[in-house]
Amino acid sequence: VALSEGKRQSAGVVDPSLLSLARALRDALDPVLVAHGDGKTGLVLALLAREHAYLEGPPGCGKSALALAFARIAGARLMQASFHRDTSAVELLGSPRLRRQRRGNAERLAFELMPGPLATAEVLLLDDLSRAPGEALAPLLRILSERRAAGAALPLETAIATAGAADLESYADPLEPSQLDRFAVQIRMRGLVSGRRFERARTLLDRDGEPPLHAVLDTDQRHALQRAVAALTIEPAARAALLRAVERLRAAAGDEPALLSDRAFARAAPGILKAHAFLRGAERVEAIDVRALRFMLARRVPESLEPHVAAILEDALLEGAPVPAPPPSTRPAAAGESGRAADSPVPVPGLETVPAPIEGIAPQARARGDDDAASVENLIQALLGRLERGAVARGEDPGGQPRGWRRMRRLDELLDADPVDALLYAQGRSTAPRVYRRERRNAGGTLAVLRDVSASMEGRLSRWAGQVVAGLVRTGARRRMRMGYVEFNHEAERFEAGGAFFHRRYRRLLALASRRRAEGRTNYEAPLRSALAELRGTAGRERHVVLLTDGVPLLGDPSVRHERALARELGVKVHTVFLGLGECPEVLDEISRETRGSGFAARPRPDGRVTVIERATGPRSARGRSEQSGGEH
Amino acid sequence: LRQGLGRLRALLDRHVVGHDEAKGALLLALVCREHIYLEGPPGSAKTRMAEVAARGSSLGFFFYQMHRDTRLSELVGDVVLERRALADGEGERIHQTIEPGGILTAEICVLDDVSRAPGEALNVLLRILNERKFGDRPIPLLTAIATSNPLRDEYYNEPLDPANLDRFAIQLRVAGLIQSGDRSLARALVDQFADGRVVEQPEPEAVLGRADLDALHAALARIDVPAAEKDRLIEFLRRLVVDYDCDETNSLLTDRSFLVKAVKLLRGSALLAGRERVEREDLAVLHLMTTFRVPEEVHEKVPELIEEIIA
Repeated sequence: VALSEGKRQSAGVVDPSLLSLARALRDALDPVLVAHGDGKTGLVLALLAREHAYLEGPPGCGKSALALAFARIAGARLMQASFHRDTSAVELLGSPRLRRQRRGNAERLAFELMPGPLATAEVLLLDDLSRAPGEALAPLLRILSERRAAGAALPLETAIATAGAADLESYADPLEPSQLDRFAVQIRMRGLVSGRRFERARTLLDRDGEPPLHAVLDTDQRHALQRAVAALTIEPAARAALLRAVERLRAAAGDEPALLSDRAFARAAPGILKAHAFLRGAERVEAIDVRALRFMLARRVPESLEPHVAAILEDALLEGAPVPAPPPSTRPAAAGESGRAADSPVPVPGLETVPAPIEGIAPQARARGDDDAASVENLIQALLGRLERGAVARGEDPGGQPRGWRRMRRLDELLDADPVDALLYAQGRSTAPRVYRRERRNAGGTLAVLRDVSASMEGRLSRWAGQVVAGLVRTGARRRMRMGYVEFNHEAERFEAGGAFFHRRYRRLLALASRRRAEGRTNYEAPLRSALAELRGTAGRERHVVLLTDGVPLLGDPSVRHERALARELGVKVHTVFLGLGECPEVLDEISRETRGSGFAARPRPDGRVTVIERATGPRSARGRSEQSGGEH
Repeated sequence: LRQGLGRLRALLDRHVVGHDEAKGALLLALVCREHIYLEGPPGSAKTRMAEVAARGSSLGFFFYQMHRDTRLSELVGDVVLERRALADGEGERIHQTIEPGGILTAEICVLDDVSRAPGEALNVLLRILNERKFGDRPIPLLTAIATSNPLRDEYYNEPLDPANLDRFAIQLRVAGLIQSGDRSLARALVDQFADGRVVEQPEPEAVLGRADLDALHAALARIDVPAAEKDRLIEFLRRLVVDYDCDETNSLLTDRSFLVKAVKLLRGSALLAGRERVEREDLAVLHLMTTFRVPEEVHEKVPELIEEIIA
């Protein structure tokens, strides 16, 4: 203890009054919002490290409230931008300036942006970031990382973005990885009710009105804090631990997409680690500060990995520990330096990492589920390729997202025009101004999914079938297809939502896809009849049925003659997928061929994966063509 | 205090037959200053009720018929392009601002056929509703009443996205009297038109003033919520999540709605009943919150669940 205190005084690295300021900031957040400790600590780390933060969570869980309170308590000048479909770069960046210079009988027109509110903001709140069209975001995010605009340095310290969780039924496009990566701190927040934290929810009910907010810092103090944090040194052991941690995260993520970029982990992470060490009261960054990485991971590692992140980080710490590994319960403490207790006399809320069990680390725990997903991935891809073929992804629509520019066609579009162009046009100085070219995905088509749940469809086969259905639902959601779902064995069970067979309640379909049941015997006729009867009442060219089965029909008409004829008459494509070890029944190929659908057979391999064969059903093959014409007679 | 509300209720009854639940919900929305969403088939008096309730309360009124091309500027006022010469005289600065109008200046608004507007366009509107401010400027809006047709293909509408739906604390389905098979009400409705009693009365008279509403709002804050009723609210939520499997994938049980707004509605229910404290029967208003926030089959069981919790 004496040694570490002596060092602190001589180096003068940590000023105790600064430390208490930083902790006061963190503590002042507690009365504002019930729970959400990670969100609060994450924002403090971001501000100390001068990094940007991203808060993701369901609507109404307090994301914006937290960010607003944080800016107030930190005493920072706040600019708040709410994003929506029509957000344009101009709105965020400032007013356009038109410069006219006469040179003889020529006139030079130059156009630049005068920094708007961004020029003064110290904390920038980007509300509902994912709702803005990419075109508006690109220049903004560039400015965020450069912290310069119109040739001048910005006073910006931290930008806090909020976004809803990716949701199938929401209209917002998810943020792209390149956009997300600019936010070093990433936190996922959950609601108290949906997160089943009823006791905390009850304490929220007892709160009467909003607690008053007072600034605990001012700009000079924040800058002093940020300088002190940046001045901390990082021990070699901590650098090694950081690399080990990232390496382990990469390995645990496996093939799933992870965003482990150099920008985040080489450039931003050291700053976050320093902030963590500072808040802990340490005078340099030690290996245990690698735990701060958990505040950076919400959208950087696959969601399935999230419950295991703490354990993975502990594991990385443990590997570099100088002493032989003691029993699990004391590992986290032993992983730190011996001086840790002295360095951190006051426990800081939100910083103490829950010692996670070392057993049952991610890869093993997730192995089975992953395999399933990987095994049927090819099948899903091939099937979706067939469904999507020929469908135009986007069409121009006045209510869509701006996706570029075009010339104005009608006068009422002037409202949607580039302001400078519109002005020049109004002055008679230019031809038709540029307006946004708005596009939206075609709300394309109708898809009925018929899933065999007969007794033989059990275990792995049932899981695969569920994966295929889930893949179809995700594609359907992307294209905003109307979908219907039937489970069948000897009889067909239709699942309706909102009183309609075809609907867009994708989340409900996903829930159905994950159900497992296996009973009864197979009958193709009943489900096809049921789906085609529904399709008869719909219009449109893109109408598909996907029939998922593992066996030959034992009940009903095994050759489903009526249904094939009806599908042809309606122009409905029936795609068939045979899952299982046996022979693919001929009738499936015939159904696909006659209705111009595609046919697949997926066969399990001994290694647990699956081989996918596309059956020759298309009119491309000579055999297919001859049999198809035969079938029509 | 409640006389004004009684007059408004009487006005609603004079103009619209039946629809007890919807009328009660509209009064509740006005008292609690919450937004309300009415969904029902065409011709089921949704818009009529919304309009009568809005006009009967002598507040700054704004009506907007949503359509496919609805743009923000139509709802919030006029876009103004402002030019200012630069100091050096060699150019100008062009500034785009909004001259507030529409929902930015209204105290009560009716947004008709809200699901006809493109889903993305609505987001900003509904954010304004939720925060009751535009940019940094607070707006005077007290209550927004939105109507919509159910989601069917033949209506060419799009569902509101879940985050947007959550902005409407009170949500309910309205069915036409003829469709719902209530003979006597349908008969009363036919009689009313046949007798020429409701010939067009385009402008219902205002029966409730701003001062009345302010007094009601002040009274609302004074209503006591006993700990036992808070416990019951939490128990209700716990049962939905644990016993009825409502989670983030199928429901919208947000903290904002069920931990903040629900308490307000409980108070509103007590106030409408003329009480000074929330009693267990006020929990029935929770049924007006779950309509589109939990799966349909769960919503149908909500009255039963509330009964159990009250008992």
